[in-house]
Amino acid sequence: MKKTSLKARELFAILTITVGFKLADTTASNYAQEGKNAFWLMPIVSFLIMIPSLLLLMYLLKKYKNKNLIQLIKKILGKHVGLFVSLIIFLVAYSLLIVDARNYADQIKILYFPESPTPIIQMIFLIVIFYGAKRGLQSIGTSTYITLPYLKISIILLALLIAQSIVWLRIFPIFGDGLGVLLLEGARRGSIFADLFIVTIAYTAFSNSKAFSKGLIFGSLFSWIEITIFFLLYTTVFDYNSIDKRAFLFHDITQYVNFGVFFTNVETFFMVFWLGAAFLRFIILIYLVSWILGETLNLDEFEPLIFPLTFFVFPLSLIAENTITNELSFRNNLFTIATPIFIFMPILLWIVAKSKGELKKI
Amino acid sequence: MFPFSKKKNNSNPNDEPEKVTIYKEIDKNEEYTKKIFSADINKDFTFRTLTANYCQKKTYIFFYSSIVNSEKIYNGIVRPLLEADGKTINNIITIESLTEIKSFDKVFDQINSGKAVVFIDGETTAYSVDVADFQARKVGKAENERSVKGPKEAFTESIGVNVSLLRKRFHNQKLIAQTMLVGSRSKLEVSVMYVSDLVDQEILRNLQKRIESLSVDNISTIELLEQYLEERPYSLFPTILYTERPDYAAQFIEDGYIVLIMDNSSAALILPATFWSFFHSPEDRYSRFLFGNFTRLLRMLAFAITILSSATYIAVTNFHSEMIPPDLLLSITSARERVPIPLFLEVIIMEIAFELIRESGLRIPNPLGPTIGIVGALIIGQAAVEAGIISPIIVIVAALSGLTSFSIANTSLNHSVRISRFLFIISASLFGMLSLVGALVLWVFYMSSVKSFGVSYFAPLSPKYKSTGDMYFRNIIKHEFWRPGQVNPTDKTKKNPNNKGDSTNEKNKFKS
Repeated sequence: MKKTSLKARELFAILTITVGFKLADTTASNYAQEGKNAFWLMPIVSFLIMIPSLLLLMYLLKKYKNKNLIQLIKKILGKHVGLFVSLIIFLVAYSLLIVDARNYADQIKILYFPESPTPIIQMIFLIVIFYGAKRGLQSIGTSTYITLPYLKISIILLALLIAQSIVWLRIFPIFGDGLGVLLLEGARRGSIFADLFIVTIAYTAFSNSKAFSKGLIFGSLFSWIEITIFFLLYTTVFDYNSIDKRAFLFHDITQYVNFGVFFTNVETFFMVFWLGAAFLRFIILIYLVSWILGETLNLDEFEPLIFPLTFFVFPLSLIAENTITNELSFRNNLFTIATPIFIFMPILLWIVAKSKGELKKI
Repeated sequence: MFPFSKKKNNSNPNDEPEKVTIYKEIDKNEEYTKKIFSADINKDFTFRTLTANYCQKKTYIFFYSSIVNSEKIYNGIVRPLLEADGKTINNIITIESLTEIKSFDKVFDQINSGKAVVFIDGETTAYSVDVADFQARKVGKAENERSVKGPKEAFTESIGVNVSLLRKRFHNQKLIAQTMLVGSRSKLEVSVMYVSDLVDQEILRNLQKRIESLSVDNISTIELLEQYLEERPYSLFPTILYTERPDYAAQFIEDGYIVLIMDNSSAALILPATFWSFFHSPEDRYSRFLFGNFTRLLRMLAFAITILSSATYIAVTNFHSEMIPPDLLLSITSARERVPIPLFLEVIIMEIAFELIRESGLRIPNPLGPTIGIVGALIIGQAAVEAGIISPIIVIVAALSGLTSFSIANTSLNHSVRISRFLFIISASLFGMLSLVGALVLWVFYMSSVKSFGVSYFAPLSPKYKSTGDMYFRNIIKHEFWRPGQVNPTDKTKKNPNNKGDSTNEKNKFKS
């Protein structure tokens, strides 16, 4: 992979779109199923449980200069075990992408195109994603950075407009169903931050490793805070009675706001920015996933993989019978499976590297 | 790869005289030159015979009478040769440029480019004297890039005048006007202008190589050269800035950009170009900080309206009508009551009609000019609505998107924007906002992958470079410390950041 002139700001934008965007999809209602009105505390738990592993991974990447995630895994674990672990990473990342793709297509269909069939919406979605991803990492970084301000302005506007419906006392009882539930369920969903690990595949492509670390730290912190604030917003708007009965919390609050008395139905306005971010998010993810597979299989050029990988999202995402199965069964279980993988992978790498004595040599 | 075919391409019948050196016998020279220039039928090919006073030898002067200054020939060549006395020809002919030539191909080039060539009996060297006087327009006003505040001069169709217009604005011995030749049949000069201790050598070399490698019979204007030089001829976006204003070109030169100038074109090319250079107008800098940025804000608004207003109208009314407030929805519906055709067609008809009026307005002979306005406004505004073909709201939407497109002053970007508008209209009619946003995302992705001589289209916003920060809005002139980093100027500092370059202390005296 050639070096690009991407710097910290582009990585910040990429992470804000891939990770931070979870505030606007069904992740919120997934959390609310268990956390009730205290679900806004759960991303804090999820983040805290992932952060040591992420820092460990960054430490290893820094030690082994000029290696990206998969190259690092292969270097430390050897050819065969490395291949196996890389494949697992790829499968998890790709599966997360597939269930998310279906999830997004369903959201668009249910909310805005009730008469159109899901496959058609999915197809349009994938066509855009394919052509976007084809443009390469430099383009992805630049476009994401350029569009980020508009997306953020729309989000801030929404937060300001909904502020009048907030009742702060609704955060009580502060721990909802109990602290135990929050900790356990929050930890189980650590993989909403999995994209932070996936993005390290691009470690070597950035202009320097310092820029990458800076972008990663600020990007993850910002997304985390953003998610927490918005979850808090949902809690204070909907209260414990209705919070776990809502499917699309973000789109629900866009229906509550209006611009003065004349423009009362402005949800489509916010939907435009939401869609833009959704396109960007999947373009980034499909590019990174293709890269992971290409590196796993030792291909010189991974960009030809973008087409087949995008194409197979189509049939695979349609396996789930309906949006309920996809959301409550597939996506939920995948979160649970993926979390320990991303937590233990860097630890495993570190232990092996340590026992081989490689960390001192370098 | 194909040595034989390559050779074939290179052997042009024109290259034949290359090997011929100048003969010692003057009659042979005369005969050969006359033959090549078909002197018997070529009316303006002229020659004069005389005996030079200083050496008492027979002398021939050849030139094209239509492209030389005859006074200069008489005073600068003929009279000195007849009257003056001296040892060598250098002391006789005192015109500023006298070049020695040894071979006939040079002789022909010189005569073709407006010089007079002097042959002297018994010498194997000919002398070319610059007496060229190509007819050109006087320096006029900029017609397409007008400004209220700022200089009004525009480039004209003469390379000498254009170089002088640029030198007038940047007095520095490092401002180079390097001449390169393009075309194999008709060799024309291209002036590559840059400041030698600012320009990035890599970009300069790249450009020189591109110009040298052009193998084409004739490139007569800079507009054609632009198309020969650009990287992606099929691309929707321009990658070389085209301007008719010398003041704008001079601004770029002092930032380390390269400017190309040619005869026959009243414009210059500036490269490398980014999206911002197309988006800005020179007047933004001439106006005061607040006024200039207000204009920028308006232009941004116009940019958004022109590419998106029609498309958004289609998407919202066809797919997301719940978004429109009920009162407005009712008025739209009642306006469309009598209109039988679908909304998409309605918009397309209006947009195309507007483009047609605009195109014919450009081509129409001057005396007929006002007619087009009257006919256009009448047919489109009044008759079409009354006939029930289109609804009045569409007239507003299309007129808005059409008129705002004029605020993108740059002719190249203007076309990109107008074509993009149709792409968005079509995509909006497929799946409403879903496909419209998809098209917009791809459009941005495509734009950010465009490069001009290795410089990204959105630099220095992303990828980031140190620069004056002149992107969406511009900075206060006093705070422009750095040259644009994306063109990699050798001297990056425009002004020392510690010294604001103004007389703050002096001003403070008056404050108290």
